[in-house]
Amino acid sequence: MVSEDMTQMEAPRIDSGRIAEVSHGLDRSEVERREKVFSVSGLEVSYHGNVALDGVDLAVHKNTVTAFIGPSGCGKSTFIRCFNRMNDLVPGAKVSGTVLYHGEDLYARDVDAVEIRRRIGMVFQKPNPFPKSIYDNIAFGPRVLGMKGSMDERVENALRQAALWDEVKDRLKEGALGLSGGQQQRLCIARALAVNPDVILMDEPASALDPISTTRIEDLMHELKRDYTIVIVTHNMQQAARVADMTAFFSVLVDEDGGRRHGILVEYDSTRKIFTTPSDKRTEDYVTGRFG
Amino acid sequence: MRVEFQGELDALEAGFQDAGEIVLRSIRGVVDALRTQDVELCDEVIAFDDEVDERYHALEKQIELVLARQTPVAGDLRLVLALLHSGLHVERMGDQCVTIAKLTKLSSHLDTKQTVIESLVDMGERCEEMVKVSLDAFAQRDVERARGLHGLDELVDRANRQVFGEVLGYVNDPEALEWGMRQITVARCFERIGDNAVDIGEQTAFLVTGEFAEFTDASH
Repeated sequence: MVSEDMTQMEAPRIDSGRIAEVSHGLDRSEVERREKVFSVSGLEVSYHGNVALDGVDLAVHKNTVTAFIGPSGCGKSTFIRCFNRMNDLVPGAKVSGTVLYHGEDLYARDVDAVEIRRRIGMVFQKPNPFPKSIYDNIAFGPRVLGMKGSMDERVENALRQAALWDEVKDRLKEGALGLSGGQQQRLCIARALAVNPDVILMDEPASALDPISTTRIEDLMHELKRDYTIVIVTHNMQQAARVADMTAFFSVLVDEDGGRRHGILVEYDSTRKIFTTPSDKRTEDYVTGRFG
Repeated sequence: MRVEFQGELDALEAGFQDAGEIVLRSIRGVVDALRTQDVELCDEVIAFDDEVDERYHALEKQIELVLARQTPVAGDLRLVLALLHSGLHVERMGDQCVTIAKLTKLSSHLDTKQTVIESLVDMGERCEEMVKVSLDAFAQRDVERARGLHGLDELVDRANRQVFGEVLGYVNDPEALEWGMRQITVARCFERIGDNAVDIGEQTAFLVTGEFAEFTDASH
């Protein structure tokens, strides 16, 4: 409310060019202008005939961080595993519906799942370095894939991108298992980056780490989204609020009769919207901690 | 779920309403002091402002703790932000009452003009009503009622202009002019209290709808 006396004054002329725009994370329209990396429609995943996740439609856009949040059993980890066909490795798993990756059907018969997993890397909850040297952990993927060029350069670049180089450059030949948990997780990120991926999937990447290591991983996500597209599953809602441009909230639907439960996508929008004015009451209840 | 957190939010809201009730007493005090030109009552209003400030600072401190410990989001975050803003508006109203009380004291040795006093009392009573509406609308999350404050504010603004016009007529009488100039400032203080009540109404609309918009945009 501006004072009434001021209403008599002539409206000021504003040179909008002089007023800097301040941006806090991308808004939905900015995200949607970017190329679609994944387009998911009518996705259903079941294990041995039991539906785990049903009716998911959403798109993931290039050079953004997309977070999946929701209570245990909502299918968010099941969902992220659909993006690099990790569910193929689970006995009894069946994926139906469409997952397009840059417009191509990820589940078409002629798709090479190994090539998919090179372009779509994954980082897990628990750091899982190989029991080898730091150097060999990074070099392993490029060697297996027969990638050309200087391996030393490739290892250094990957470690630099993962913000680990300065800490390990003098002990590259030492065992990776001697690193701290936070360092091991960044090593796993470096290992994923070494094979020139397009997308990095992260399933609870910081849940086993202390707060300082967690901050490092989160800072890293901000850096990495310039070159990569990042999808993250997290239990930590504030982490989603801090790092993600877009957030999808999944929940558990319980059938009235048999008490069967399966995951559904409740709301997908800009992180700003999800954490300030969510459209769905279930999202509001979850993010404010009144449910789940 | 989050029983303790909900309790903290309820306590914040109760603290805000309490500060609002206190400031209503200040407004009632200055209206009575103006009507009767009671200097002692003016002193009481001035001293009473500590009560408003105390409640506002307690509210601010509690909000700081809730933000730090509970990291509220969505509707909870809007409630906390709306309470922080609205609390400050209440505190400002208290300050306006102090200014009115001081001006009334300062001009007590001069002759009063009944028409101006009546206009000021009318403004004060309208402000009191506006503050009540703003507090109730906030408590009941009643956006329509909050929007109605804009219409009430127009009446206060009109009375403010009337006082100004009246005082212009004293230009050839130095003593009446001195008294009148002080009353213009008193009217201006009431006008600001009305604006602060509208501001609380805008916070109510933000709390309910999630979108902040001024009820009127005076820059256009």
